[in-house]
Amino acid sequence: MVEGISKSDGKGFSDDLAKYPHRLSFYRLPPTEEITLEEFETWAIDRLQVLLEIESCLSRGKSFRETGAIVNTMLNKLLPLNTPNKESSSLFQERKKDHYSHFILRLAFCRSEELRKRFVRAETMLFKMRYQMLSVQEQRDFVKSIDLPWQEVSEKERTEFKDELLRCSYNAIRSALMQTVEYQRTQRVTEEQINNYLISTKFYKLPFEYVPELVSTRQSFIHMGYAYVGEFQRLSLIANEFGDFLMGQLKATMRALPTLDEDDRLVPVLNNLSKGYVSLDYKLNGGYGEDANGSGDNSGITAESVGMYIKDMPLCMQNLMDGLKKDHHLRYSGRQQLSLFLKGIGLNAEEALKFWQEQFTAGGVGSMTVERFNKEYRYNFRHNYGLEGGHIHYKPWDCRTILSKPAPGRNEYHGCPFRDWHRDELSFNLQKLGLADDTRLNEVLDLSEKGEYQTACTRVFELLNKDRIDDCLKKGVKIDESSIVHPNQYFDRSKYLDAHCDKQSS
Amino acid sequence: MVESDSGSSSASENVNKKVKQEVKCGAQTTAKPYKPSSADFSNYYEYFMPYKSIFLWLNHSQVPQDDFTKREFAFEYKSGAYQRYNSFENAKEFRDTVVKAKPVRFEVGAVYPVAPKLHKTVSKSMMKPQMKEFVLDIDLTDYDDIRTCCSGTKICPKCWKFITLAIKIVDSALREDFGFKKLIWVFSGRRGVHCWISDYRVRVLDESRRRAIVEYLDVLNVKSKNKAGISLRKPYHPHLERSFNILRDNFVDVVIREQDPWRFEDRYKELARNIPDYRLSSALLKHWKEDPSSSSATKWRDVDRLYDEMKVKSFNLQDWKREMIFKTMYPRLDVEVSRQMIHLLKSPFCIHPGTGNVCVPFDPTEKEFNPFTDAPNLSQIFNEDETDWAKTSLKGPIDFFNRYVNQLVKDETKEKRAREAEKTELEF
Repeated sequence: MVEGISKSDGKGFSDDLAKYPHRLSFYRLPPTEEITLEEFETWAIDRLQVLLEIESCLSRGKSFRETGAIVNTMLNKLLPLNTPNKESSSLFQERKKDHYSHFILRLAFCRSEELRKRFVRAETMLFKMRYQMLSVQEQRDFVKSIDLPWQEVSEKERTEFKDELLRCSYNAIRSALMQTVEYQRTQRVTEEQINNYLISTKFYKLPFEYVPELVSTRQSFIHMGYAYVGEFQRLSLIANEFGDFLMGQLKATMRALPTLDEDDRLVPVLNNLSKGYVSLDYKLNGGYGEDANGSGDNSGITAESVGMYIKDMPLCMQNLMDGLKKDHHLRYSGRQQLSLFLKGIGLNAEEALKFWQEQFTAGGVGSMTVERFNKEYRYNFRHNYGLEGGHIHYKPWDCRTILSKPAPGRNEYHGCPFRDWHRDELSFNLQKLGLADDTRLNEVLDLSEKGEYQTACTRVFELLNKDRIDDCLKKGVKIDESSIVHPNQYFDRSKYLDAHCDKQSS
Repeated sequence: MVESDSGSSSASENVNKKVKQEVKCGAQTTAKPYKPSSADFSNYYEYFMPYKSIFLWLNHSQVPQDDFTKREFAFEYKSGAYQRYNSFENAKEFRDTVVKAKPVRFEVGAVYPVAPKLHKTVSKSMMKPQMKEFVLDIDLTDYDDIRTCCSGTKICPKCWKFITLAIKIVDSALREDFGFKKLIWVFSGRRGVHCWISDYRVRVLDESRRRAIVEYLDVLNVKSKNKAGISLRKPYHPHLERSFNILRDNFVDVVIREQDPWRFEDRYKELARNIPDYRLSSALLKHWKEDPSSSSATKWRDVDRLYDEMKVKSFNLQDWKREMIFKTMYPRLDVEVSRQMIHLLKSPFCIHPGTGNVCVPFDPTEKEFNPFTDAPNLSQIFNEDETDWAKTSLKGPIDFFNRYVNQLVKDETKEKRAREAEKTELEF
């Protein structure tokens, strides 16, 4: 695949755009031609940068549209795919770079389950973003080129299931109509508009197995084993197919890797590429997290005083503290989320054990005994402080870690309230915290509904601490207004306000 | 086809022991908790358990094939020991092993690439489940936050209505929406039901698609969340609309009148917590504190009244009421049981070790299942006959199961031929 000396400078190739008939690609066929070692490396790094940016957006809980806006500039610079009215040789070069860089990264990221998952996630997102950039005609042509067992829903069935199809597409159609120029003018969507849209929309049916997300979220009508998918839902279907296909290909690549005649010069390049794929680690601002490992804390937080800091904790931690107080117990994920957070705010190992033991055994008659606590839980908490087992210094969970864990089950309190709680419950609890203003409250609720949990949490912090922040700003004290991506960041900011402001938090 | 020789072997002496009648749940209750002795188990495994039928049900053919021979069975013993990775070559080995081992119950798991009994001889990565029936598990303990008549392992005709409704809703979704045809419901022996779906299409599903089906059904998301309300997108999805129509007609009788949950302080506090308006919620709590034991019907009306009086605008009361109907009555499913391919589930015709009830299959489309009259108990069937199942009340369920299994095998043979023809076609 790679030659040491470039023989071609692009001229030796048949500049045939027929190789890449569509802007978008399913990457079914691997490249077969030669490129230079330099191209190999730069193309791969360019694509990697784009994927990393996408991953960062996803982990910050950015919405699809926001991610698009953020990544677009970078995409145009590093990995453009221009509309087909440009000169064909430059189009060919773009598409070739896209094609080759994808396959190079496959070699780098097929090597472990974790890398494969992340690669598929980022590539699928990129695929979706690019699909959205296509014109309607391009989308139709592209869809036709993919071999899927779908059939158009007949007029007869459309009439028979009119109500069902409307129920399943009502909200999607509504939000599609809200993007129109018409809406900009009138600011409203009528039932008639929705009905007309429905009539003009094509529906396809295919075995439900092809659209698991549309099934699990009840976004499409399911009847006799078929999912009825509207034109506007095709992306979900194709993206799902793309992700599945890519995952299968990565596994095949991994199995083939030992037999691939890999050029010695490529190995270090590939290794470096996959190493570049690291997530961002949050460094605790206040610095107490780093030496909370053993006894060398400087925070002065003790088992007794932890309770006084509840107001400085983000909602997820308040919820865990409440759950702990109520049940005198927390399940594993909850214990991990809270105990590492407490470690991060400076509760040292000795005080932590005291705290957890008191909490677990405080249930009155019939509750857990100290013996049982020592037998079953002591190890767990000491382990978190690196005092048992592998002596690893465990970091407090960031929002991304919290959001990546399974949602809390019955009698579990871990997770992120902005994601896990129903709008009404969230509303109720935010009101209890003191968010009384309906407009502000709804703003937070809407953010959570849109999946922007960290922004919602950041907003809550800002609203609850409005007076203190204003006071600081007035005094010229610097305030970090970036989005909160870590529960300990929330805590640190609250303590920062304490230190720089005379007012009490509301 | 079913082991039923009558012999002179020692039948259980415990059979005729007086059974303590539990009268907790009202006069209608005839569930007799009966702890079977090990002699009971021996006798049942020797003469009653329909091994051949279970073999056919899991094998989908008269001739032993991978569907059975590479299928995992797990035994649970009286001591509490749990033995995984059993597998059998045929129905006879299956029978002989169970008779000899006398577990208190056995569970059915997935089909693996190698016979599970050989699992130690292959690398761990080989032991990935390939196929399994899709299963659903509905259990009354998951309704403890709404039922007041019983709790924990207890059931009565009042709370069994939740299960009957759940079966109705899930059964129609499985048949009408997903188009499954080969499904059978089984009483779990005490307080719930299982559903086993054997359509080929669903047997080969991976976990992500199993999850999709169960999440489609799991409207309340009950296992992952049991605190506040649910958010139901409007307009309702056709499945929700159909379910709502079934639930609405039962709400007043089953919840408001019979369970009457909100006359208890912790329950009405929970109801108030579910009201998305803080002002209204606090006002109701204050009002109810004055007359805490007023009926659920009264409290349900109080919500209406105060909502109007306080001119609450922050949420739509009718939508909220609809959601409460879902929240109190919609089927509560164990998502993990359905999703995980490695998960095992108790086989039909096992004995529930705590009640002595036989886990009989039933057809809800023919008649609603009543656990107090339709679930034969060991003590009862041994009274009817000690060795011949055909003379006992187990005959009905076994005949029904055989009819179901025979049809399953017949259809499967036909479909398999079609599948193979299609495969050869593709290859040429």
